[in-house]
Amino acid sequence: MSFDVIDRALEIAGGDEADANFISSDANITRFANSNIIQNMSEISAELTLRVVIDGATGVASTTSFQREDIAEMAAVAREAARHSLPIRDFTGLYRGGEPVPDLPTLHRTDITPAEKARALRTMFDRGREAGAHFAGSYGTGTSSVACGNSHGVRRECTFSVSEATVIAIRGDESGYATDISRRGVDILALGAEATEKATLRSGVHEKLEGENYDAIIEPPAIAEVLDWMNMIAFSGQSYEDGSSFFVDHLGKRVVGANFTLTDDAIDPEFLPFPFDMEGLPKRRVTLIENGIARTPVVDKAYADRLGVPPTASGWALGSPDHGSALHLSVAAGATTRDDLIRSTKRGIWVTRFNYVNGFLEPKTAMMTGTTRDGTFLIRDGEVAARLPNLRWTQSMVEAFSRIDGLARERRRTGTWSNPFGGTIAPAMKIRDWHFA
Amino acid sequence: MRPPRQQLEDALKSLRDPLLRYADVRYTATQNQHVRVRNGEVDTLTSTVDRAIGVRVLVGNGWGFAASSDTGEASLMRTAQRALEVAAASNLASSEKIVLSEVEPHVATWQSHFEKDPWSIPLERKIDHLLQATEPMRGDPRIHQASGDISSYRQEKIFASTIESYIEQTTTEMGGGIEALALHGDEFQRRTYPNPFGGDFQAAGWEFIERLDLAAKGSQIRDEVLALLAAPKAPGGRFDLIVGSSQLALQVHESCGHPTELDRALGLEISLAGGSFLQPPMLGEFRYGSDLVNIVADATVPKSIGSFAFDDDGVPAQRFPLIDRGIFVDYLTGRDTAPVIGRRSNGTVRAESAARIPIIRMTNINLEPGTTPLEEIIADTRRGIFVDTNKSWSIDDVRLNFQFGCEIAYEIDNGRLGRLLRNPVYGGTTPDFWRACDAVADRSSWQIWGVPNCGKGDPMQTMRVAHGAPAARFRKVEMF
Repeated sequence: MSFDVIDRALEIAGGDEADANFISSDANITRFANSNIIQNMSEISAELTLRVVIDGATGVASTTSFQREDIAEMAAVAREAARHSLPIRDFTGLYRGGEPVPDLPTLHRTDITPAEKARALRTMFDRGREAGAHFAGSYGTGTSSVACGNSHGVRRECTFSVSEATVIAIRGDESGYATDISRRGVDILALGAEATEKATLRSGVHEKLEGENYDAIIEPPAIAEVLDWMNMIAFSGQSYEDGSSFFVDHLGKRVVGANFTLTDDAIDPEFLPFPFDMEGLPKRRVTLIENGIARTPVVDKAYADRLGVPPTASGWALGSPDHGSALHLSVAAGATTRDDLIRSTKRGIWVTRFNYVNGFLEPKTAMMTGTTRDGTFLIRDGEVAARLPNLRWTQSMVEAFSRIDGLARERRRTGTWSNPFGGTIAPAMKIRDWHFA
Repeated sequence: MRPPRQQLEDALKSLRDPLLRYADVRYTATQNQHVRVRNGEVDTLTSTVDRAIGVRVLVGNGWGFAASSDTGEASLMRTAQRALEVAAASNLASSEKIVLSEVEPHVATWQSHFEKDPWSIPLERKIDHLLQATEPMRGDPRIHQASGDISSYRQEKIFASTIESYIEQTTTEMGGGIEALALHGDEFQRRTYPNPFGGDFQAAGWEFIERLDLAAKGSQIRDEVLALLAAPKAPGGRFDLIVGSSQLALQVHESCGHPTELDRALGLEISLAGGSFLQPPMLGEFRYGSDLVNIVADATVPKSIGSFAFDDDGVPAQRFPLIDRGIFVDYLTGRDTAPVIGRRSNGTVRAESAARIPIIRMTNINLEPGTTPLEEIIADTRRGIFVDTNKSWSIDDVRLNFQFGCEIAYEIDNGRLGRLLRNPVYGGTTPDFWRACDAVADRSSWQIWGVPNCGKGDPMQTMRVAHGAPAARFRKVEMF
């Protein structure tokens, strides 16, 4: 079915060149709060996107109707757009193929039913009651088929599953958090137990702090949130081209600490593997920062041509203004454990998760602000001494990643709503002098 | 394609479960067109058509929802049955009793007003309009990006429910704006008109884009962004702060709109969007702001993208106060949440499309104008700072502790606007901030701002809301 639709679209497309994506999904999301299922949904969807190139200019159109006349109408809109558009500077044309996609393990598993999910949640709710906690969060599962192709004969297809859960355990004013995303399914009961442990740790022992710099133990979900922002303001082809990225004029130079290595890794079987981007380029491991040295922004085909950088297979939406996005952010692990990071800290703050981070303050230093939530703890003399209220922080990530004192061996996956193909995998980090306001 | 009325009603009739208490079915056809030019070339030119059906059922105390992008009759019937299956699963782990507030059946047709259909304007004209508007911003080597956006949006929506409502609504909207990014050394500045993130948006046609007069603003935006590169940093400390209409609209959005969503206050959105510091026992008692602060929710404002005739529960659009002379008096509610606080739905439940579950969303959340012209407020300020146009935004999970950055600021010295200042950032806690409001400007500075990208829900739903605000003064606000 997928290639049929792609072939039909490319046959009708016209223009000098064309490429198309067809994505169909069966997504099931259960949301819960106060230990009750509050929303439960099942969605079957499909969408076709077509890009037509005429005289070096492009137009993009999409539709959710796939009869021949609907596709013809969409193609006419894309052609009209391309005809009225202007040539993309330095663009040498669509991907020509000729490279194999990586051989990845099976990415698809049988989905569990809504009833099975509900029973698992009921068990988690019951266990929470025994600990005096109730839960909020979401538990999503789904399978998607993605096909892409172009008028140069490139054809790619992949069916993959994703399972993702976020659990907040709440007991009075205290809360804890756990999350996971996987191709193979998530253990909702283990996440419930982890969130409950965080919600009940140092229960009733509260302290307050004055704003200043503290050593911070930052857990993977918090790292994921700042990296999501860095993807937009520093790693994308657009941010590099417009000059706002701190990578500009610094490729090949040290930008952060030597113990920080970041890749865009869609082929790691333990992460969220995916074999190609939406322009059909095969995925490979792309190093963005290697031992503190900036290596490359991520780009779509047009911006690889324009910026003169090797293609990174990072075009995730045809015609997207970001011109490249790293959807599989992978931070290299360290050699210690999270608990050892805590034990090595004389006075610091342990952060589970950030809330509402914003990275537009000063993009050239990746200055960001946000607050902590769902488990913020004071560390004193290597021990978790007390729970802290949610704290505001304002911090340059360029500076923060230059002051990493330790990285955990264990890495955890985190998903984000804006990324249907991947997420972030990162270890817990100990960062010196994080600025809490 | 568009299902006929009979098909939708047949789908509702096909729902057979002895515990079925309520059901609705929706169809949406959503058209989007986005033109973006950047540095003299067309950067984005996309056109999407998205059709969906969604069936929502309440069986016992369990909600079920199913959706499909296949809007044919067979798919509609299958989707209805899937909704029942999902509701049955919900009942396995739902113990709280769900009460729906009363609503009368309505049969109605409504469409927003426009003069010049966005889809009747040739693409070439939109591109030319943006190229002309952005041209004055180009040329200086410090300006790395001069861009402009024009967006067109239309959503046709049909709602039918088991209480025999049948409502058709069509909304047509346009938005546009320009932006300049400038860089000198490590200093990076952004300046936009009339608003960041795609500009301003109205439920209108091409006439709105013409009224924005983007081309006339290009050179001003260029001059301001270049001046900001060399301007001194806005100082830290406590200052009397005058917040312009555009930035104050964002402040209303984050610190009043979101915390007055009842689902947040009840903990139903806590896992993603967060909760609210405004809790039900505070209704009618809590001093949210000074006596000058009057904030209303008004889904009936003409030409605004936060307006509609009926929400996605089939409840008529309404206008009601949220903050009355500084006192917190109401929430935004829906049929299944209003009864929890003993009230009837005030009609604020909407979904991004028929493929999403309707949840409580802002409508037009407006700070009512005061009586003093902005010029008099400035003249009455001995030492302060004027800020406007949002650049960064962050607020905690209960909407209490906030920090906002703006594109532009001016020193106020002895009642006059003085030096330009860069990177102004202010913060505080919501009630302290609004209680410090001692002057609200009159209607001459009041403007309604369309916000087409309010995010909430899981899966994330982007909703089109709006905020009317004048400028206002706040005493001794902390700047960073």
